[in-house]
Amino acid sequence: MNIFDRRYETMPRPELEQLQLERLQALLARLRRNVRRYRESLADLRVESLDDLARLPFTTPETLADAFPYGLFAFPLREIIRLHSAVGPEGRPMVIGHTRNDLTQWSRLAARQLAAAGMTANDVIQISLGRAATAAASGYLLGAELIEASVIAEDPLHLDYQLAMLQNYRPTVLITTPTHAVDFARCLEQRRIDPQSLHLRSVLLSRNVNPQIREQVASGLFASVRCTFGLGEILDPGLCVECEAGQFHINEDQFLPEICDGELIITTLAREALPLLRYRTRLAAGLRREKCSCGRTGALVEPGHRLDRQFRFREITFYEAQIAHVLAQTPAAGHRFEVQLTETQLTIAIEISQDLFANTLTSAENPRRQIELELLARLGLEAEVRFVEPKR
Amino acid sequence: MLLQVRNLRCGYGSLEVVHGVSLHVAAGEIVGLLGANGAGKSSLLKAIVGLLPAWAGSICLEGRQTRGQPAWRCISNSLVLVPEGKMIFADMTVRENLLMGGYHNPDRNLQLELVLQRYPPLAERLHQLGGTLSGGEQQMLALARALMARPKILLLDEPSMGLAPRLVDEMFAEILKMKDLGVTVLLVEQNAMATLRIADRAYVMETGEITLEGQAADLLHNPEVKRAYLGAAGREGWEG
Repeated sequence: MNIFDRRYETMPRPELEQLQLERLQALLARLRRNVRRYRESLADLRVESLDDLARLPFTTPETLADAFPYGLFAFPLREIIRLHSAVGPEGRPMVIGHTRNDLTQWSRLAARQLAAAGMTANDVIQISLGRAATAAASGYLLGAELIEASVIAEDPLHLDYQLAMLQNYRPTVLITTPTHAVDFARCLEQRRIDPQSLHLRSVLLSRNVNPQIREQVASGLFASVRCTFGLGEILDPGLCVECEAGQFHINEDQFLPEICDGELIITTLAREALPLLRYRTRLAAGLRREKCSCGRTGALVEPGHRLDRQFRFREITFYEAQIAHVLAQTPAAGHRFEVQLTETQLTIAIEISQDLFANTLTSAENPRRQIELELLARLGLEAEVRFVEPKR
Repeated sequence: MLLQVRNLRCGYGSLEVVHGVSLHVAAGEIVGLLGANGAGKSSLLKAIVGLLPAWAGSICLEGRQTRGQPAWRCISNSLVLVPEGKMIFADMTVRENLLMGGYHNPDRNLQLELVLQRYPPLAERLHQLGGTLSGGEQQMLALARALMARPKILLLDEPSMGLAPRLVDEMFAEILKMKDLGVTVLLVEQNAMATLRIADRAYVMETGEITLEGQAADLLHNPEVKRAYLGAAGREGWEG
């Protein structure tokens, strides 16, 4: 078993709770002093135990988006050395900042996950996450550098080039998205390339997938498969560690989790640039505090479905509101539509009307193609548009 | 956890100076407690050892509640405070000073030999009056006297205060050596840089509350710590 940070990952519960209380009290003092919005909402509220957390105000994704770009930062921009963007509610932009210490901490937390997945300094790691996950890619890079693995700092865009890299550089670990892993396994199969001829030992997927997909990737690439679970606004990777027993342990020395009405709530205990108090993640989840055979003591989280009509297709996250916004610039403006999503197909079903074809002299092909191109250009989504009869 | 403090409040008269502080020290650690003058650091230490009554909160030493116990009992609990300004007995000899540190220890003569082996300059001045020692030697005597009680945890209050720069370095090297003796240290200091260099973890205290906790090496890079204690450029808040 590989535990990167034994002190914190296996900290006995009473000690962990003492540390969390200390960090929470210090966090409140800093928030009150450094962030105007929190100073107003916290007033004189203090906590004397972790149970008092329930008395503190929530931070919603809307608050974070309202504060765009830097309104919730606890430090002046001069101290912030890294900025990432995240997609907020209804596609509104959010900015996540990091100080030097935030990045140091991120590297340690990412390294916890890599170590738990069995990676060592002897591994050659290829990080291939595509455009949609540049922030996550930088997190994996930090972690991989900390465990002193050799990282191939290139993200091949094309499957052919990817295959050539796997054959030439002989990476033992591939960190990638589930979509890409499945595509790649399929590509090997079509070309009748034996996955055993590659040197892959393990594949780390950038998000949690169901057992079928895990199995598909494991057999298709002949490697052990592990998943991560993170949240862009909090930390991804680095929020959790998936252990040898296949459980997601929250890094509780850094993040204090709660469940309110089925929703996962996270308080960042040590983040400097953008500390978040009781952040509503808009994700359904289960939380258990019980012993795990791996020895880690962090709470076990079971991520569930999104609670905010956020969708994901081929690793691109989007909201219904963003589709509506794009449609508003096309002949389909004002039409009712529905997002239909399967693993392999994204369909936007738009209710048909006469206006839709008002200025077209030819077939119905034109507005359809126009909308599809618009969705691709603005959101990067390869969607199929269908016109359907209006519902009564 | 050797020492665990939760929500400790204390003060003088009706003035509260420590507003609900929580901290812990694990066995074998050197933990720094930084803060400006008047932040409440010394009051916190005094409350931990019982020299100042704690108004609220809990203080646990190896899991046992010690809040409310008289200060003298702390020594038998292996918790020893080296107060600010050395506080050695000026009119007693070095030997008498040391023996006072181990007055409850039946093996104090044996302990005296061990301590003198560790601090040879004191052995040479065994019969000199404490008050006639130099500043550095007095600080060394204060440390040695604390070790006479065979502490598990030493609380040091501003040990570098009033020492010449060269002696300051020696003092911190001496504190670092406590680790080899298996002595855990909670170190209150205004010399942030030197403290963060030798400590494992540290807390930052401001106006009676803890505002930061972290690994000492990380705190060296914290923008607020740099601004307030390490002499970086002036303060600027971001108000969005």
